[in-house]
Amino acid sequence: MKDLREHTRELLEKGEIAAVIGYRQVSEMRTKPVIVTDPADAEHLVFNEYCLNNLAVYLTKARIKALCRTKDKTLKLAITAKPCDVHSIVALIQENQIHRKDIHIISFNCHGVVKDFGCEFNGDNLASKCITCETHKPLYFDKIFGEEKETPKASDQALARIQELESMTHKERFEFFKGEFDRCIKCYACRAVCPLCYCQRCITDKAIPRWIESSSHQRGNFSWNIVRAFHLSARCTGCGECERACPADIPLTLLNRRMAIEAKRSFSYVSGRSLETPTLVGSFNEKDSDELFM
Amino acid sequence: MTVRVLPGSVKIFSGVEYSTDYKYMCSDPGQNLIKEAIHKYRLDAIVVGSCSPHMHERTFRNAAVSAGINPFMVEIANLREHCSWVHDDIESSTHKAIELVRMAIEKVKRDKPLTKINVPVTKRVLVIGGGIAGIQAALDVANAGYEVVLVEKEPSIGGHMSQLSETFPTLDCSQCILTPRMVEVHQHPKIKLLSYSEVVKVEGFIGNFKVTIKKKARHINEDLCSGCGLCITKCPIKKKAYNSFEEDLAFRSAIYIPFPQAIPNIPVIDETVCTYYKTGKCGMCVKVCDRQAIDFDQKDTMLVADIGAIIVATGFKLYSIDKKSADSKYKGYGEYGYGKYRDVIDGLQFERIASASGPTSGEIKRPSDGKEPKKIAFIQCVGSRDDSKGISYCSKICCMYTAKQAMLYKHKVHDGEAYIFYMDIRAGGKMYEEFVRRAIEEDDVKYIRGRVSRIYEKNGKYIVKGEDTIAGMPVEIEADMIVLATAMIPQDNAADLARTIGVPYDKYGFYNESHPKLKPVESTTAGIFLAGACQSPKDIPESVAMASAAACKTIILLSSDTLEREPVVAKVNEDLCAGCFYCKKVCPFGAVEVKDVKDINGIVYKEVAYINQGVCQGCGTCTATCLSKSIELAGFNNEEIFAEIAAL
Repeated sequence: MKDLREHTRELLEKGEIAAVIGYRQVSEMRTKPVIVTDPADAEHLVFNEYCLNNLAVYLTKARIKALCRTKDKTLKLAITAKPCDVHSIVALIQENQIHRKDIHIISFNCHGVVKDFGCEFNGDNLASKCITCETHKPLYFDKIFGEEKETPKASDQALARIQELESMTHKERFEFFKGEFDRCIKCYACRAVCPLCYCQRCITDKAIPRWIESSSHQRGNFSWNIVRAFHLSARCTGCGECERACPADIPLTLLNRRMAIEAKRSFSYVSGRSLETPTLVGSFNEKDSDELFM
Repeated sequence: MTVRVLPGSVKIFSGVEYSTDYKYMCSDPGQNLIKEAIHKYRLDAIVVGSCSPHMHERTFRNAAVSAGINPFMVEIANLREHCSWVHDDIESSTHKAIELVRMAIEKVKRDKPLTKINVPVTKRVLVIGGGIAGIQAALDVANAGYEVVLVEKEPSIGGHMSQLSETFPTLDCSQCILTPRMVEVHQHPKIKLLSYSEVVKVEGFIGNFKVTIKKKARHINEDLCSGCGLCITKCPIKKKAYNSFEEDLAFRSAIYIPFPQAIPNIPVIDETVCTYYKTGKCGMCVKVCDRQAIDFDQKDTMLVADIGAIIVATGFKLYSIDKKSADSKYKGYGEYGYGKYRDVIDGLQFERIASASGPTSGEIKRPSDGKEPKKIAFIQCVGSRDDSKGISYCSKICCMYTAKQAMLYKHKVHDGEAYIFYMDIRAGGKMYEEFVRRAIEEDDVKYIRGRVSRIYEKNGKYIVKGEDTIAGMPVEIEADMIVLATAMIPQDNAADLARTIGVPYDKYGFYNESHPKLKPVESTTAGIFLAGACQSPKDIPESVAMASAAACKTIILLSSDTLEREPVVAKVNEDLCAGCFYCKKVCPFGAVEVKDVKDINGIVYKEVAYINQGVCQGCGTCTATCLSKSIELAGFNNEEIFAEIAAL
């Protein structure tokens, strides 16, 4: 923790970075995102099992980007990112939202975060994405803290759930999602926390034509959630923030995870893992499988 | 479908002022009905329920223009292909027709007048392939006064025609008629010849292509080389590489010119056999070259050319009877020994043997022992017209060249016997049938109708076992040499090149013409034309005719300073664009560019997509890909499409 604070303070003092996007402890088992621009504030930064938020979402925010623009030069942004959050950063770089040279990634050897704020970390109550996580060491970073450590493996309940859904008939599956989507109140919290939902104006906010019904009845709820799943196909890195943010507890990662499985099965592609690999969406290979064509 | 109920049924839709029907709306009286209605009812948009817009959209748009309406305020509901031709149930297909018209009405209500776009035309033509078709096309275009870039992958132009001994049906010397054309290409001030070069990338569109050409390293400084050939004479590596111009019947040195009349007359160093590249020593060529033209360090270079139109004339290759890999679309001829018999040769090898400049100086000698064959068998349709070998088509030229080769053989070996096994004699062409009759009647070539089932070697002879289907009995001939008329197939990299330049090809790899009857030299890609055997098997006169036709089409294209383009192009809403550039990744025409958006201090704060209207072809791929729907395609914008769907 001390290292992290010293490192960021130094960067801020040297004037190499405009701000640090990091976590601040707000209570014993809760942190919140914080943007640090004053070196003196670096002492508030923390990194621990309660750092649930994926801070990559802030990288594309216009107000934060504006911090970096000075008259003579562009400053870097520093971000504290869990290895899984680095996947989101990779996806953002691939989609031209940020440039690698403009950010300073501070990452950690991660052994998981708790499933929710207020749960005391005991090694068993990990977030579901941490249970199946294979990236305990970040794939890209400029500075790394923490020691590498064995992480306990548990059964992949989300995958079991997907398999269960796949074994259903179309009608049963439709009924299942209808039941889930019925609770959607169109608050768009899922969109607000998603690092890859960076559009200046979301398709759902467009009125001419009206792509997605804005009221929360069945048609609009289906359009919104399905369109979101499609827009994130082969792009979602699986950070799970949408599901965590959803006030109606809709199991959104089921959809995203299912699409990610398809991308991996059909095209051996996993989003956010490599800066060198072209994005699956938008790249064509003659050897691509044709079986997805109907 | 009941047409007569349509006008009444669609009249009730909101916005419809007038509706009518007429049997031949595309005819002059039909068009007049439209024009009169426009004037009488002061119409501002038209929906025509008719055949495919592919057929008569232009007709109706022009009619609208002459009545004072913007041509893009005309929509076609395709009732022929979508209703009357495809459905039997009259009632439901009539209902469908009404719905289609209704959709078109909703679209036309939202259509906006568009103005045609004029784009400049680059007055320079790229010809790919320097065989006779490419040479002819290049000369025709250049003689019309336009610049030509002629790209040939081999060290010399000339192609297959330069390898032939004599040509049917006149028996004139192939090189004697070809080489003056080659020289003309070389000397033409309007033709830039890039030999030993390949097209690696084609971007842009009709009138404005950007072509990247790889000039492979010859390891010779072309500006310094005088073509004296001393390096070739002195090169100590004489027998390590087969001479592909001689169809592997002779060797060549490591530094070589393919054949004496080569254009350009500049050697190439074959890195794979040259001692210098293996050991770093030798350098004999460097020592003898008094102009210091040898450059071992020369690298491949890339050239980019602005091109207005492209003529593809990449020709063919011959199928070989060798054993093929399991994934090959062709199969070899195990029954003919898979190419293991040295005296079983193909047609091009015979051309070299019969050629006065060939490895035997024109004397007919068999490759194995150099003896003169006294009995020779020609077998036609080897590969061609044989589904089991993977080639269903007729290669077209083999009947004629086999007759010619048998005739040449008889002219040179007076006491020899020539047999030809054939399936049918296809001699359609001016003086072709007469030529075959001459081979049979004057030169005593023996034609046997039937297939050869097996060839094997016995005591230095080749036993040809076949069947004479006319006599209805088996035939067995002891031949000294056998010539196989193997099929013409596309070049090895034909499909790759097609994808590079953007032309469609058939299942064999031959390039597709736009229309088999009315557009035989146009590819389906605007501005790209086809000539010669890359489109299908052809003989010399046909290739030349096609090349001149392609040249003519090209000249028509270049004759105007600008091209009128449909205004159906995409446009980015820069305020909403998130700059993810998926549009740039998917655009097949390279029309999407990166545009910087600056703040008041001139600092770039975001990058957005910008679509070059001159390059955009209006395919709509970007609009479909754009996640935030920040791209609109003029004439097919999201609002219009939505309204159409909603009307259903």
